[in-house]
Amino acid sequence: MADDIISSDAPLSASQQEIFRAILDTLVPAGNDGILPSAAELDLAGFSEAPVAGMAAPRLLDIVGCFDAGFPALAPEERHALVEEFRGREPALFQSLLLQTYALYYQDDRVLVGIGSKAGPPFPEGNSIVSGDLSLLDPVQTLNKGYRRTGD
Amino acid sequence: MNTSDPVDVLIVGAGASGAAMAWSLADTRMRILCLEQGDWVNSASYPSNRKGWEVEGFGPFNIDPNIRKLDTDYPINNTDSPINVVNFNGVGGGTILYAAHFPRLHPSDFRVKSLDGVADDWPISYDTLEPYFAQNDRIMGVAGLAGDPMYPPKQPPLPPIPLGLVGETIARGYNKLGWHWWPSDSAIITQPYEGRGQCLNLSPCMSGCAQGAKSSTDITYWPEAIRRGVELRTRCRVREITVNRAGMADGVIYYDADGNECFQKAEVVVMACNGVGTPRILLNSTSNKFPDGLANRSGLVGKNLMFHPPGFVQGRFEERLDSHKGPRGCCILSKEFYETDLSRGFVRGYNMQITRGAGPFATAMQGLMSGNIPWGPGHHEAFDKQFDHTASIGILCEDLPEAHNCVTLDPNLKDSNGIPAPKINYTLGENTRKMLEHGIARATEVMEAAGAVEINSGGLLRPSGWHLLGTARMGNDPQTSVVNHWGRSHDVKNLFIIDGSVFVTAGGVNPTSTIQALALYVADTMKKNLANLFD
Repeated sequence: MADDIISSDAPLSASQQEIFRAILDTLVPAGNDGILPSAAELDLAGFSEAPVAGMAAPRLLDIVGCFDAGFPALAPEERHALVEEFRGREPALFQSLLLQTYALYYQDDRVLVGIGSKAGPPFPEGNSIVSGDLSLLDPVQTLNKGYRRTGD
Repeated sequence: MNTSDPVDVLIVGAGASGAAMAWSLADTRMRILCLEQGDWVNSASYPSNRKGWEVEGFGPFNIDPNIRKLDTDYPINNTDSPINVVNFNGVGGGTILYAAHFPRLHPSDFRVKSLDGVADDWPISYDTLEPYFAQNDRIMGVAGLAGDPMYPPKQPPLPPIPLGLVGETIARGYNKLGWHWWPSDSAIITQPYEGRGQCLNLSPCMSGCAQGAKSSTDITYWPEAIRRGVELRTRCRVREITVNRAGMADGVIYYDADGNECFQKAEVVVMACNGVGTPRILLNSTSNKFPDGLANRSGLVGKNLMFHPPGFVQGRFEERLDSHKGPRGCCILSKEFYETDLSRGFVRGYNMQITRGAGPFATAMQGLMSGNIPWGPGHHEAFDKQFDHTASIGILCEDLPEAHNCVTLDPNLKDSNGIPAPKINYTLGENTRKMLEHGIARATEVMEAAGAVEINSGGLLRPSGWHLLGTARMGNDPQTSVVNHWGRSHDVKNLFIIDGSVFVTAGGVNPTSTIQALALYVADTMKKNLANLFD
């Protein structure tokens, strides 16, 4: 049962999940370097129907319904062409899906580490950055510029 | 109607200015009450505690109240303005979500009419506020570097925030052009300070600082003000200020969290609700004596609204700049084009504020919108070129006061308590438009000089109405101003205004430092005149 359900409001069967994962893989395929995962590897439970960034939530059944059962078996170029076609036909649906995909993808720990960031939320670990070379101000000191006098 | 015991001083709004006023007046041992329509914000609720921090920044911590839609927010009609008003309603006000870029107005900003023949002079000067700027810097905890030639001498209490690779790279561009730049004064503590931990370079300052290193007034002024006896009552939304037969303010009517209508009597009322919230309440406070709104015999309440219309230029660099790390809105600034040079085709000038890069989700989204980062094949390669490789220059233009830019009461739109919402009417002035174009062109030159390999620019971002100024201006003449030189209403002598409403001109810098210095100055002047406060 659990394998067939993403959320109580948006049940996807196993075959629908396969289609959905193929769509995700088309949107964000794995990186050539073998480090960055495909979006198909994301936890599908994250694709709830909650709105993201003030945009409409992706309607998963409607999205999956736009693709045939044979979609996952197609070559990447063919899948890309079909998703492109879907984008033109259902722009709002496509946009909501892409937004949700990016939102989940770019908070995945494997992705964050792969792009040179840190896993997890920013707090409490934080980041180190170079303090910077304040001798770069030396030329500014010689500009002979100053604030405008007012006569006060 | 529910009533409470009378108070001596009632402050409406617990943001930047209300907090400073409460802290200062606490010396007097008067009974001081602050009513705030929002809640306290728990730092554990800030998005940077969670992996979905970027997404949350677009939702429940959105800077636009019309998107955020918390029940502590009120709607704002921006349909007749190219700029949306942004804010935060809660203890700390706008300082909860601000970038904490903390420059002061310049001396020349107080003498615009005398120096440039436009707008008006302030009835006070930079020198009037200087001790209060310094006091505010100490209490808030301001990081910076002394010696900036574009200001009179000042000594920030904490060392500057890191330049990072972003700051160094852009600074080299300015140096190549022979233009001014300086590390930004920032209300972000760079060392442990007054029991607060130092900045961890988290990045998402503009959705709240989980570390507490960003100086919002809920963690600076308010704890001390409350310890010294000030009462802060949250979830209290003021509808109107009431007046007695003598035409003096005698209290406010507000709604509590349960929607109960309450009356709070006060000897003195202080408005600290920002340049939109304050005129909204004043205009909604009508009576026989004040049929056009309280303190509005000049007809200037709500008029002369000024923003700082922004433009931006983003540069992409071949080398990695670690640009998503560090305080997002604070790095370095340039005052090269701050003062008037009529050969540029406009009067007054602008600040250039260098900001760091976006987080990964925002990078992907921006890349999608600009066409720089496709979905599908090539996504990762394009993303890798952008993420951590960008820096931006914000152009913060000085707006001039124009009466037709205004805040009025919307005849239809209301908040959840039925109080009329503010309506914004604003058009970009010709002078500001020319300034914006000039700024974008100069910032593009900086990016080129700094070695950017790709440059994008844009003007007039819609969700950029942070700085809400001028709608209850100060001045010596009751015909041409709403409050006098120490924030007291010309028409109602126990009514004070201390937020950005009282600005006569906008300057070209983020205003919070000046707003708070003004609040401390007004509070100090009140304390010196307690015996004859209403004369």
